[in-house]
Amino acid sequence: MPHPTVSRRKILAGALGTSAVLALPRPAAPAVKKGTALRMWILKTYVEPTNKAIEASAARWAAKHGASVTVEYFTFEDMQTKYVAAIENKSTPDVGQLETGAPARFAGMGQLLDLSTFAKQMETEVGKVPANILPVTVIDGKTYAMPWYVMAPFWYVWRDVFDKAKVKLPNTFEEAKQAAAALTRPKDNFYGMGQSWNRTADGYGVMQGLMYSYGASWADKAGKYKSIKTPAMQQVMKWATDIYKDGLQPPDCLTWTGSGNNENFIAKNIAQTSNGPSITFALENALAKATDAKERKAREEALANHVALPHPAGPDGRRMWAIAMSMSIFKNSKDPEAAMSLIAHLLSPEETVAIMKDSYGQFAPVLDKARAASKDYFNKNDNYRNFGRAAEWFVGTGYPGPVTAAAAEVQATNVLTDAPAKVIVDKWSVDQAIDWEDKKIKDVYDTLRG
Amino acid sequence: MAVDQRTVTRAVRPRASSWGRARRRDAGTALLFLLPLFVLVGGLIFYPFYRAIWLSLTDKLVGYPERFVGLRNYIYLAHEDTFHQVIRNSLVFTVGSVALKIVTGLAMALVLNNVIRGRNFFRGLFLLPWITSTVIIALTWRWMFDAFPGRGFFNSVLLDAGLIRRPIAFMATPEGAMAAVIVANWWRAFPFFGVSFLAGMASIPKEHYEAAAVDGAGATRRFWHITLPGLKHVIIVTTLLSFILTINDFNIVYVMTRGGPGTATQIFATYSYEVAFNQLRWGRGVTISIFLVPLLVVGIASISRYLLREAR
Repeated sequence: MPHPTVSRRKILAGALGTSAVLALPRPAAPAVKKGTALRMWILKTYVEPTNKAIEASAARWAAKHGASVTVEYFTFEDMQTKYVAAIENKSTPDVGQLETGAPARFAGMGQLLDLSTFAKQMETEVGKVPANILPVTVIDGKTYAMPWYVMAPFWYVWRDVFDKAKVKLPNTFEEAKQAAAALTRPKDNFYGMGQSWNRTADGYGVMQGLMYSYGASWADKAGKYKSIKTPAMQQVMKWATDIYKDGLQPPDCLTWTGSGNNENFIAKNIAQTSNGPSITFALENALAKATDAKERKAREEALANHVALPHPAGPDGRRMWAIAMSMSIFKNSKDPEAAMSLIAHLLSPEETVAIMKDSYGQFAPVLDKARAASKDYFNKNDNYRNFGRAAEWFVGTGYPGPVTAAAAEVQATNVLTDAPAKVIVDKWSVDQAIDWEDKKIKDVYDTLRG
Repeated sequence: MAVDQRTVTRAVRPRASSWGRARRRDAGTALLFLLPLFVLVGGLIFYPFYRAIWLSLTDKLVGYPERFVGLRNYIYLAHEDTFHQVIRNSLVFTVGSVALKIVTGLAMALVLNNVIRGRNFFRGLFLLPWITSTVIIALTWRWMFDAFPGRGFFNSVLLDAGLIRRPIAFMATPEGAMAAVIVANWWRAFPFFGVSFLAGMASIPKEHYEAAAVDGAGATRRFWHITLPGLKHVIIVTTLLSFILTINDFNIVYVMTRGGPGTATQIFATYSYEVAFNQLRWGRGVTISIFLVPLLVVGIASISRYLLREAR
């Protein structure tokens, strides 16, 4: 193949063009005074290396600017309590990591700084925010937080169990239920599924994924209340309660705490469950800690046989509720400029990828450039390829509307999971439970201030 | 003898006025010494109580200023089905736990009262649950009732003994979950009853028992007619204290069941926490706790009155 001729003129033109691009005004990095001290609150995840990686990244920023960052942790358990106490005592941190519903709630209280201009400036550095993530951080047209990553649930299954029973891996909720029926062996204490309607994201998160995938929702596109007394919601409630009534799950499933499904899945007491990649982390970690060849072989097999499928789809599509973590600046911050600089540093594609590599797939970046930079990492195997696509399937609380304070409160009232529990435990009818739930949701929207 | 009244007045007045001055000075000093106590009581009891009452009369949301809404929160809760269940659950939890504590506390005291050797050792041993962290106790009982194959204590014992073929999900039913939290609460606090009753038994004169024995009264009659009446005040006070502590309990239910399954074990404290901290509705959350106050005030006042009358 002939080489194209490259003339001197072309080289000069290219060099000029490059110089011109480089000379274009770049977004000014927020100024940081030497000796600045910031407080940053971040989520302590189950994957300890991720926590350490974020801390290390903050330390790199501090060293670069002669500043200091005090990193404090909150867990899923005490996240609300800690922020509530800080807001009421006016002791909020400079920079805070927020979960899906928090930007809407805290912005409504006037706690967060408007980051609209900063977000625009950042776009050239970090890329665009996907349209489905924007409703989490943009409230009434203003940006109050910078989205960072999605911590998503996946549909974990044991491939060998499915293969042995010649059952197809599920793609939809209905298929998952059918598979569970085919795989359940109560005599051996083995059950086809483990889905708890408890008061954790494993409960209300999956319930939302189920609802939105079936086209059921309590809010319209504008974020206003909409009745859930619909045929779609009846289907949702039927699925949610049939898996219990039909005996497809361990009898104590409803009482599981956040780690109950992880433990039962890893112990192979159940064939399928919805969970974040912490299961993969646990299995990879277990393999690394194997002490002899026999143990190593067993753990390798477990790792090879566990499959993290995309969350099941419903008749209306595949919509996965997830925890979308973002970074925000509280109005009380003594140095918002430095806080912006810290966020810009953490969200840069380089730092994001560095942190993500220590996350065992739990940390799925959402910003365009970080997603592009993380492609190789997520190309490790099928499970990781699914982890990398988390942002694609994401929908927020109160879909199809934006995430609002009211929608976040509906999730916080636990009615989404208490309703199926009324059917399973108190023997209510499906319609009775939906009526009860609808009344509670309407009450939230009718009485919420702000 | 005629005494000039003016002379007396003149003679007494300086003494009276110096006495008055001394009294005022003493009162001033006393007030000065009492001031820290007033500040402490006012700051730690009256102000928070006043604040709680005030918040219950507002629509306070976290991050928003409070607005007076009168009795709206009380009316709302009075009509809320979940709150009705919370009241029922709280009463079952409290009455069940306290009743168990009285019975086992009495049994513990009776046994220890008759143990001559090693009484102090056993007294210390029985106090272990009382001094152990509540969270540890709750986690331990959660593990005991666990249905995870090969892990839960009760299920492992029953399976190993061949009494069951599959684990029993103790906490999966409303009744089972309630029983589990009652048992955990009972286990933590029954030593308090036992030790209090034991102290009460020590104050019952031995002659009463000797006289009853001479009259031919058996152990049961001695218990009914001497021990129980002798312990009456101790039983009333410990029951009242335990009732207050149990109805306000949070840790055991929160750690063991989170109020579940569904809302089957949701009690005042856990529901108040959920409404105040998760739903961010502080006004309503505080009202849930305040609902208890009249009940407790009436209970405390009537028992105090009864005890004072008895003492007179």
